[in-house]
Amino acid sequence: MTALGACEEVDLALDFNTIQIREILVPVDGSQASMDALALACFLAKHNKGTVYAVYVVEVARTLPFDADLSAEAEEGEEILARAEQVADSLNFEITSEILQARDAGHAIVDEAIERGVDGILAGMEYKRPLGEFQMGTTVQYILRNAHCQVIICRSAAESPSK
Amino acid sequence: MKVVIMGCGRVGAELASMLDREGQEVTILDLDPDAFRRLPAGFGGQRHVGNGIDQEVLSRIGVGEADAFVVVTQGDNRNVMAAQMAKHIFGVPRVVCRIYDPIREELYHKLGLETISPTKVGARLLKEALEREPVSRGSSD
Amino acid sequence: MYIIVVGGGKVGYYLAKELVEEGHEVLVIEKDKLKADRIAEELGDISLWGDGCEASTMEMAGFGRAEMVIAVTGDDEDNLVACQVAKAKFNVPRAVARINNPKNEEIFKKLGIDTTVSATAAILAQIEQEIPTHPLIPLLRLKGGGLEIVEVKVPMNAAVVGRRIDDILLPPQSIVALVIDKEGEPRVPNTDTVMQGGDEVVAVTRTENEDALRSAFTSAAASGSKGPKDKKR
Repeated sequence: MTALGACEEVDLALDFNTIQIREILVPVDGSQASMDALALACFLAKHNKGTVYAVYVVEVARTLPFDADLSAEAEEGEEILARAEQVADSLNFEITSEILQARDAGHAIVDEAIERGVDGILAGMEYKRPLGEFQMGTTVQYILRNAHCQVIICRSAAESPSK
Repeated sequence: MKVVIMGCGRVGAELASMLDREGQEVTILDLDPDAFRRLPAGFGGQRHVGNGIDQEVLSRIGVGEADAFVVVTQGDNRNVMAAQMAKHIFGVPRVVCRIYDPIREELYHKLGLETISPTKVGARLLKEALEREPVSRGSSD
Repeated sequence: MYIIVVGGGKVGYYLAKELVEEGHEVLVIEKDKLKADRIAEELGDISLWGDGCEASTMEMAGFGRAEMVIAVTGDDEDNLVACQVAKAKFNVPRAVARINNPKNEEIFKKLGIDTTVSATAAILAQIEQEIPTHPLIPLLRLKGGGLEIVEVKVPMNAAVVGRRIDDILLPPQSIVALVIDKEGEPRVPNTDTVMQGGDEVVAVTRTENEDALRSAFTSAAASGSKGPKDKKR
């Protein structure tokens, strides 16, 4: 194929990796932003006949042994994942969900993405200005810095200031 | 009384000059020769440049004969270590150690060091100043 | 075993790596964020950015359930305080400190740090090993009791060469624990073990008997005896 030919015939859509990702990992923490990200992932995966993995991470404090029994936390995770499944159901899509137990959510998510060989991580993020300054959570930062695959962040809308 | 002071910062220099004026035999140690500029012009004590957590340095400047050892460098851990060396190796009868971190200060106090936390003391003094007399805005008119 | 390493420099990094490979649960605490992040990237989620002498960081790091703390920063005072706080506040059963200035060994011992490791002292010991006039190397001082484990190399011309261990007059409270032959083969001696020139002897003795033990194994045989060196020309 000549360069000229490529220029003329290229289908623009093919260059959008985002639209092509099939295997998508979505970390869910129960926030609205994470549910929105999940819905978006379902649309994409449905369109591309792919898969969505929803993961909830139970973080284990260092004060506890790694395999500590955290059933209360895990139960909360189960509830959140059940809600995630409802979201997917409403879009007529079936997802795979999983609870992970780890020291740090960011690490667990990046490792899980590698293990499952996904093409992308789609993570939701609340818009927060806790001290008057915009702040991005450490988990999102870690994912952006360390994930091998593509990462899509879906930030919630800023609340409109006193309208 | 022979006093060795480790750390010639503001507090160390001030203490050294106070004791010197009282006629005590003062030796002051600091890593940085520049630090001695904080001492007043007529200071009659000895100045030494050196690392205070080095046993040989402590021995050379006469900690073994000192009646008291005060350690006020910027590093809490450095202070703790020097104080324990003065107490346990050189047997100095009176060792006082500054520790900024209140938690470490309490711990080493329990472990038998004479410690002062300027953080705790300072906060308490400020609080006392605030509470000395009841005030409120506009109450005086 | 849960082991906390304070200090994520080169020593801390490789130490953590080895400990992880041995199957221990490891956490490295490092003050420098870049170093802490690098450890996390290369060794996994086993690093914590913070001050290993700060009680709140120590609390969060789980010092309360650590079975061992190893402080290996480049500053002796930080290593001392990390170990002391670990023991006194968190009741960590075992604390090991790296010592940069070998002269600090005494103060660390006096202050109850179980084990100290000094690269400087180790290198000095190696050098001493090369000096024939002082072929005894203290390997480990046992806490209390004044006992220590030492290593002595038996010179080729020593009087003990060819003698049974039982026939060697050792200073009081000394025992030969191990004999390592020239090929590096260690064996636990019995009373009939015969000493060879070039053997390395690992013995337990009292500190004050170090010299006596050394001369027991290293004094030259009286001239005219069977030492292999004597080829008169």
